[in-house]
Amino acid sequence: MAATRTAPRPSAAVAPPAAPPPPVRARRGASRQLGRTLRDLATAAAVIAMALLAWEGYKALGQATGDLVPLTSLPLPVATDDAAMPHVWQVLAALAGPASTASDQTLLAYYLQQTSVTLREAAYGLALGAAVGVCLALLMRQLPWLGRASMPWLVVSQTIPLVALAPIVVVWIGGAGFPSWVAVTVISAYLAFFPVTLNTATGLLSADLTHVELMRSVAASPLQTLLLVRVPAAVPSFFTGLRLAATASVVGAVVGELSAGAGLGIGRAILTAAYYYSLAPANLYAAVLVASLAGVVFVQVIALAERLVLSKREH
Amino acid sequence: MTTPTTPTPTGTAIRLAGVSKTFSTSSGDVVALDDIDLDIPEGGFVSLLGPSGCGKSTLLRVIGDLVTPTTGTVEVAGTIAAEARRTRQYGMAFQAPGLMDWRTVRRNIELPLQVQGVGRAERRQRADEMLELVKLTQFADHRPRQLSGGMQQRVAIARALAMQPRVLLMDEPLGALDEMNREHLQRELLRIWRATGTTVVFVTHSIPEAVFLSTEVVVMSPRPGRIASRIPVDLPYPRTDETRLTDEFQAAERHVRERLHAVLEPTTAGL
Ligand SMILES: Nc1ncnc2c1ncn2[C@@H]1O[C@H](COP(=O)(O)OP(=O)(O)O)[C@@H](O)[C@H]1O
Ligand SMILES: [Mg+2]
Repeated sequence: MAATRTAPRPSAAVAPPAAPPPPVRARRGASRQLGRTLRDLATAAAVIAMALLAWEGYKALGQATGDLVPLTSLPLPVATDDAAMPHVWQVLAALAGPASTASDQTLLAYYLQQTSVTLREAAYGLALGAAVGVCLALLMRQLPWLGRASMPWLVVSQTIPLVALAPIVVVWIGGAGFPSWVAVTVISAYLAFFPVTLNTATGLLSADLTHVELMRSVAASPLQTLLLVRVPAAVPSFFTGLRLAATASVVGAVVGELSAGAGLGIGRAILTAAYYYSLAPANLYAAVLVASLAGVVFVQVIALAERLVLSKREH
Repeated sequence: MTTPTTPTPTGTAIRLAGVSKTFSTSSGDVVALDDIDLDIPEGGFVSLLGPSGCGKSTLLRVIGDLVTPTTGTVEVAGTIAAEARRTRQYGMAFQAPGLMDWRTVRRNIELPLQVQGVGRAERRQRADEMLELVKLTQFADHRPRQLSGGMQQRVAIARALAMQPRVLLMDEPLGALDEMNREHLQRELLRIWRATGTTVVFVTHSIPEAVFLSTEVVVMSPRPGRIASRIPVDLPYPRTDETRLTDEFQAAERHVRERLHAVLEPTTAGL
């Protein structure tokens, strides 16, 4: 083969290479990304504070006017009595109070415990859904006829109302002898796979044509082209899908618990609180508050993972 | 005149016979290449020059087996082009550097070797040799986007050379660069070519570039794409910036320009 050493006779006209720019220092992405996540959480906290203020403001207005829009005789859309809209501090007091008359656990501790059950189901569901989603996207990419044939059915799968589907999944999986959290995980995965499939499939198609052609020019196998060009090109889209899937997996887990007849989980706790609403209205709001905050944290954790991976790739 | 230091051709690296290519499009057939015969000697540096749309890229891609000709045969290194591609005789570089942002500069250069199944240690060593060749050793661990356009193009050339290809195919690789960078890379390209002994087919639409680089300039004419004339460039290597100022260089440039203008305006041919 041809020698690859530099020219034995460097010509006088070979100018030195253009002055190199100072090498960009590869900053360790981790701490910077963590900082960004903390900032996002602070923003979220500010939004929550404003929502609480708006809540109390609306309630104060309704109490002052007898639930009427000021200067009219039109009723406000939502009544502001303590049964319909408890004070924020009533909700917080409920959280600090005992979970039940016979319990020395606070309601907050109880709800957090239930939430951890739900988030575990959601995490398993997200992992399962992401795995299925990526496999489907790869299959659809490598077998285009399969992709064309299956896409309408995948869309249909997401338009079936979850409340109709969940009991069936619970019956099937419970009938097979699995504990109820497995059924909840499957329902969560059922919602989570779709955004991953869709975004990853788009990402696989987004590969730069010059890269694909380069692989052809060096006689790469289709598998090599997939693994060395298409999959890396799909990583950012995959994470976009994963972020959407994280939200969906939490919704799936909560709705799944309602159908699963499970005794555990924040979904179950919300249902119970709704049942006893007339006795303790603040408990329902407390449960919804805890569930929402937990969902935000869950999605933020996935978003942080996304930033870490993408920033590591680029530096 | 001067001592001829042109690499002596030892054989034919590329032989095209009766090659034509017709693209079928929704608005009818486009004859991109019409009955092309062309021999390119081993170790030659041949430029394809012609107006936009005359089939330069198509011809290059036919040689590289990225486009199948409608008729005719393409022989590279003694076999058909498809076999030459399968046995990895080609290195290719295009106008866009086409580097992968998720790989470091070194790992970009390693890519063809990775495809070839070369082991990690040897891959790294060969990539480091290539980095030295294009004088980018200090940027081995940078990401492509941290490099200037000219440096990225040098990485792309290093990548094309990594498999030590018999044939280097380049489609306007310097087309997107400013004049300074362009002339600098032209010199680098000649240095690399002379160091490696590779046969180069180089597409350009710049007359001075074609003359400065090539052992032979092939002028193409459009609609349908044909070879209008083949002009050997008898300037000695190494060619330097002083070469550009010589009467011989300017005469060669004028000659190529006349042939090209004859293609563009057939009525003024023969001036
Ligand atoms: N894939 C293709 N499909 C249809 N027409 C094409 C294709 N590639 C090139 N052509 C046509 O072939 C002709 C030659 O193109 P090309 O080889 O790219 O010219 P050049 O590189 O000299 O500018 C042009 O008319 C172009 O439109
Ligand atoms: Mg072209």
